[in-house]
Amino acid sequence: MKLAVVVQRYGQAINGGAELHARYIAEHLARHAEVEVLTTCASDYVTWKNELPAGVETVNGIRVRRFRVKRERNPLTFGRLSTQVFDTPHRLAEELAWLDAEGPTSSSLVSYLRRHAAGYDFCIFFSYRYYHAYHGIRAAASRAILVPTAERDSAIGLSLFKPIFQGVRALMYNSPEEREMIQALAGNEHVPSVVVGVGSQVPPNPQPSRFRQKFKVNGPFAVYVGRIDENKGCKELFDFFQSYVRDTSGKLTLVLIGNSVLPVPEHPRIKHLGFLDDTDKFDAMAAADMLIMPSYFESLSMVALEAWALGKPVLANARCDVLKGQSIRSNAGLFYDGRSEFVEALLAIEQNRWLANSLGRNGREFFREHYDWPVVVRKYLDVIEKLRQSPAEGTLAPLPGWFARRSLICPAASEVVKALPSGPVLKFEAGVPRPAVSTPPPPPPRAAMPSADRGRPPQRSFRGGSSHQRGPDRRRGGPPRRPGNR
Amino acid sequence: MPDFNVRADSVNVEQIMDQIRARIREKRGVDYTEDQIRELASVKLEKFLDARGVRSDLLDQFKRAQVAQAPPAPPNYRFEEDTLFEAHRGPVRFIRRLLQPLLKLMFNPGPLIQALNIQSQLNTLNAQQETARRGLDQLHFEVLHNLVLETTRMGIEVKNLKMRVESLTSRLEFNERRARALESVVVYKPADTSDAAQAPPRSGPGPQPEQRPRQQDRRGDMRDRDRGRPPQEPRQPPPMPVPQGDAGTEIAPVAAASAQPATSDTPGVPEGPGQRSRRRRRRRGRRGGGSVAAVMGGAGAAAAPPAVAALPPDDGPDEPDDVDPVDTDFSSLIDSSTSSGFREEPSPAAASAVEPAGISAAPDDPAPAAAPLPPGWDEPSTRETTGPSEGSEHRPSPGPERSDEE
Repeated sequence: MKLAVVVQRYGQAINGGAELHARYIAEHLARHAEVEVLTTCASDYVTWKNELPAGVETVNGIRVRRFRVKRERNPLTFGRLSTQVFDTPHRLAEELAWLDAEGPTSSSLVSYLRRHAAGYDFCIFFSYRYYHAYHGIRAAASRAILVPTAERDSAIGLSLFKPIFQGVRALMYNSPEEREMIQALAGNEHVPSVVVGVGSQVPPNPQPSRFRQKFKVNGPFAVYVGRIDENKGCKELFDFFQSYVRDTSGKLTLVLIGNSVLPVPEHPRIKHLGFLDDTDKFDAMAAADMLIMPSYFESLSMVALEAWALGKPVLANARCDVLKGQSIRSNAGLFYDGRSEFVEALLAIEQNRWLANSLGRNGREFFREHYDWPVVVRKYLDVIEKLRQSPAEGTLAPLPGWFARRSLICPAASEVVKALPSGPVLKFEAGVPRPAVSTPPPPPPRAAMPSADRGRPPQRSFRGGSSHQRGPDRRRGGPPRRPGNR
Repeated sequence: MPDFNVRADSVNVEQIMDQIRARIREKRGVDYTEDQIRELASVKLEKFLDARGVRSDLLDQFKRAQVAQAPPAPPNYRFEEDTLFEAHRGPVRFIRRLLQPLLKLMFNPGPLIQALNIQSQLNTLNAQQETARRGLDQLHFEVLHNLVLETTRMGIEVKNLKMRVESLTSRLEFNERRARALESVVVYKPADTSDAAQAPPRSGPGPQPEQRPRQQDRRGDMRDRDRGRPPQEPRQPPPMPVPQGDAGTEIAPVAAASAQPATSDTPGVPEGPGQRSRRRRRRRGRRGGGSVAAVMGGAGAAAAPPAVAALPPDDGPDEPDDVDPVDTDFSSLIDSSTSSGFREEPSPAAASAVEPAGISAAPDDPAPAAAPLPPGWDEPSTRETTGPSEGSEHRPSPGPERSDEE
């Protein structure tokens, strides 16, 4: 089996969310299939400047084929078009112009896909909103699996993406909230989909004392990991945390890990350590009392998952549906909506060790059950296996004609997003049993199984069953559900 | 920190958040969610603010500024690369586009287009900034209103807290007084009774042997008052056998005092410190208040002034506490102590101790109305400094105030 992972940037030094997600998936799928990464020569997501050589190279044992970006992004043009398509009624041509302006405009990558897509069993596209994904999916629609990594921002409301969500072979969502949002937008319930997410390379034995010694951090502390940016809710975090320090007897220090594009307040109990490598990062998270995630928009917070994997509770912003939903589903984190809730929730975790331990234990269990690598890889492989067995049904709708593209028919994207349902989804994807490497295999059933079922992985909801409980069919050894059943 | 109602195996974060919100509500009284706060912030606060209570004229200024700020949107245009060659008629547009290379041959329109395009963008930016500034003004206005609202709320809260502090202060005072009463009872009884029983009588005509009966009379008086009736008749103690041993000697003065009529204000028994302080407090509360006669009631009260008048002036230093025989605050305490420990049998020694010269006839003798008063008796605040303390008890103040206390 040969798979192509198509992503806008790729490399070991690239730590963006979707890019890291793609790298992890490629590296783990490479143990089960031949994986090739198709990407661009860019490493900067703002300019898409060609900084890496075009051609084929190997990164961590994965074959990577890079294509040049035709032109760098013009921020002025991109900003003007963004305002136009997000805030006003517009034409489809303007949306296409917006997509071109956003980049990375690599027509050679799209041409390569058009010519060589047949050489791959499936092409896994990451990040719906970029040029490479939109045009790449149109070039290889019958083999396209999309990992949207969609957030609740205005781009999701653009009209040009609706056919994409409807026309791919399968969708791999990061969270139930993302799935609800896209299905409400595109009405693509018929498209096979599954909530997968991504695992994480959590070291088995992080060293909290090493972190404390190295960075001279004493006492209890809460950690934030990520870009320190107002868009990530950090300004609000600083404000709320200073309230906590001022108004309560709490003893937590806030430790910030990540590059800062926002001035960090000078405060004896706010420490900014800058960007740290993975070892230090995991040491810090293991030493911390909790992780704070103040972000408003997340498709999937890998940092939160890593904290849960380390058995640490998470305090999340309740305005982010995904984080709130994850906290509720996992019972492993608290969430705040406002200053007072932030302060009280922080105190609750800080001063109730029992609560913190219970949350952390639940988080570890949640991670192990849903986001451990064997589970994630199993889900991918199952989807691919299902798709191989069923022929492609629908075809991607072609682009409208010249006149239709210039008709003023597209509503403002922000208005579309406002109309989408919001709130956390309290039910999770039906659980996928852990493979035998992690848990002992179940005893063979006494009754003879149908031959077709032998050797198959245990049944789970393929299209995103809405129940958190394990399916009764699977437990009873009943027939597997068909794709499409919920 | 509250204990959250969680079990390790079934943590429910929604329940915990509910508990946290409830806790916030307890702390703040009224809890506003972020949505409610936003809603409040969006509402014009004139609707629920008393504008008269706001003394600043900033609000009016803001209002005027808001009205004045409604300028029309500044003019702007859109200037793109092909704006110069656009036309609303298709053929004209086609011809222009056809001849565009020719025009470009004549002169270079690029800088012109670029300059106008930049100007257009500047106009747009300017308009956006203006809009943002107007929004900021509106925000300031609302922030000011919110501040006024919060100040009002805090004022109310401060008032409530003040009232609460007052309430707590009064409760504290009451508790202090109660504690003092208990202290006086505990300290006074055993020491006093033993002293009275074992201490030898003073050489001079000191008041010590007589104070205890008077104190006991007060108790009897208070018992009567507690029962809702004034003491009318002096009680006659039942005949009791003479106690043998320590217990009998300890309680002898008390028993003797109880055997005395209520008006036996004779000096002689030393007072405990608690009693003095109680008297001091009573006197403080009743400066210029009721007379002993009214307190004691009956003929015994009237007989007191002559008794005091008969006291020699050199009886020793005056006890300034001996002013008021009634302690209304601690009557219940004294009653209980009396009922538990002061209904003892009198001893002959005690009986003899409470019979000083000149006072034995007092209970039954009505006070002579025209008895000569020593100088200073008309001034209730003036204390006797040379005579015995009982002298000040019998100030001839009018009686109705005593009935008020009862």
